[in-house]
Amino acid sequence: MITVVSAPPFATIQDLGRFGFRDSGVPVSGLADRDSGLALNALLGNDPNAAMIEWAVAGGVLRFERDASVAFGGADAICALNRAPLQARVVYHVPSGSELQIERIVRGRFLLIAIAGGIDVPIILGSRSTLLSARIGGAEGRRLRTGDSIATGIAVRRVGGDVPLATAARNSGPIHVTRGPQADLFDDLGWSEFLGAEFIVSIASDRVGYRLDGLTLSHTGDTAFPSEPTCIGAIQVPNGGSPIVIMNDGPTVGGYPKIAVICKSEMSRFAQLAPGEKLRFELTR
Amino acid sequence: MQHTPSIARLGDDALLIRFANTISWEVGTRVRAAAAGIRAMEIESVTDVVPAYTTIAVYFDSARITLDSIVDTIASVVNTNASVVADSSAIVEIPVRYDGPDLDDVAERTGLTVRDVIARHSSRTYRAYMSGFVPGFAYLGDLDPLLVVARRSVPRLRVPAGSVAIAAAQTAVYPFETPGGWHLIGSTTLRMFDVARNPPALIRAGDTVRFIPTDA
Repeated sequence: MITVVSAPPFATIQDLGRFGFRDSGVPVSGLADRDSGLALNALLGNDPNAAMIEWAVAGGVLRFERDASVAFGGADAICALNRAPLQARVVYHVPSGSELQIERIVRGRFLLIAIAGGIDVPIILGSRSTLLSARIGGAEGRRLRTGDSIATGIAVRRVGGDVPLATAARNSGPIHVTRGPQADLFDDLGWSEFLGAEFIVSIASDRVGYRLDGLTLSHTGDTAFPSEPTCIGAIQVPNGGSPIVIMNDGPTVGGYPKIAVICKSEMSRFAQLAPGEKLRFELTR
Repeated sequence: MQHTPSIARLGDDALLIRFANTISWEVGTRVRAAAAGIRAMEIESVTDVVPAYTTIAVYFDSARITLDSIVDTIASVVNTNASVVADSSAIVEIPVRYDGPDLDDVAERTGLTVRDVIARHSSRTYRAYMSGFVPGFAYLGDLDPLLVVARRSVPRLRVPAGSVAIAAAQTAVYPFETPGGWHLIGSTTLRMFDVARNPPALIRAGDTVRFIPTDA
């Protein structure tokens, strides 16, 4: 069991997501930085879909109420165990009563804290992921709060197996996208502006969607465009407005044209961009 | 008139089949029939089949199957103009207390009496075109043409769960407290989305829905 001694403003429990209910309006949810989550679970000998804590915004403290093997990664953060500094992507065997201090997130958005055996909250519609809009998954469908007790699973495998060590290094450079279903509504000028622009992740961005400042785009589309299914990474463009990227908890349908979709292999890197960070897009294939 | 549906990719893990560019009952029926046909194929690695007004998205695990392979597999179902309507026979009845804060405003905008607004809203049988926005939110149509009003210019930050609302040619029930720009004309105590049920959504695409006025 883990006790949340001091919760940050935003932390939820996530796994790889909830599938099969999008036709009822249920988004996939799941870890925004899926790649880092997979790497940590591999490091700990967990099932790839084991749930972990996705921790954002500020520092806090967790206490492990029994002996545990833990690792963290994703965003760069300053963390310590009983005041001794820790490194990311390393398995620590911590005795019962140990406290993990998350001082602050230095770079990126989501710090992932994983434990051997995974977080053991009830599986709701096939997933442990928290979905705040429907109050389901994770800790009673809400953010973690100070004082929460979080059940943990039993580690089934010896930790520290063969681990992709390259996970620390993230690509830099433009975020790759493919053409979206409404790519043709944007003329050559619109596309060259889109691909030439330096966007800034807006403060108005969360697990539902990231708004991108820096360029507004116009298109030739009908404003009465019928809503249609979206996907994680879809870049929606309200006419004359700032693009909005659909994130893990975003709506399953939307009525804005989608100029492009971020490649799946780039979504983890994109999700870790914090407000104020800059990015460009590059069209692939 | 039937067009040949177009298929486009929607990122790396999904494709989008487009049957038309404008909403109509006929297109909606065809969309749902095709979605049912694709589901019935039980293609391994397909995680979700999502019908909307004029489109269907098919989501899959790109690590296990390619987009081209799915396109080949579903082509026959998509291109057949299914004469069999695959809509469910389920009729969902929703008791509504017509006490919404926008009832008077809707009456004023439409030039109808409040009584007439209620009568026109509750006398129709609706079909669920699609779900989205939040879990369990079903877009129901078509509204009586005299009740069609544009959505509010300033959305509410908090619409209570269970609110029965209208906007444009649609009506819906808000399953959860969320922001919202539709006109609130009533409320229901039914739970629109409940994970303890199977399926969790009270209304699913293709279902028939009636609103029953109640005093309680």
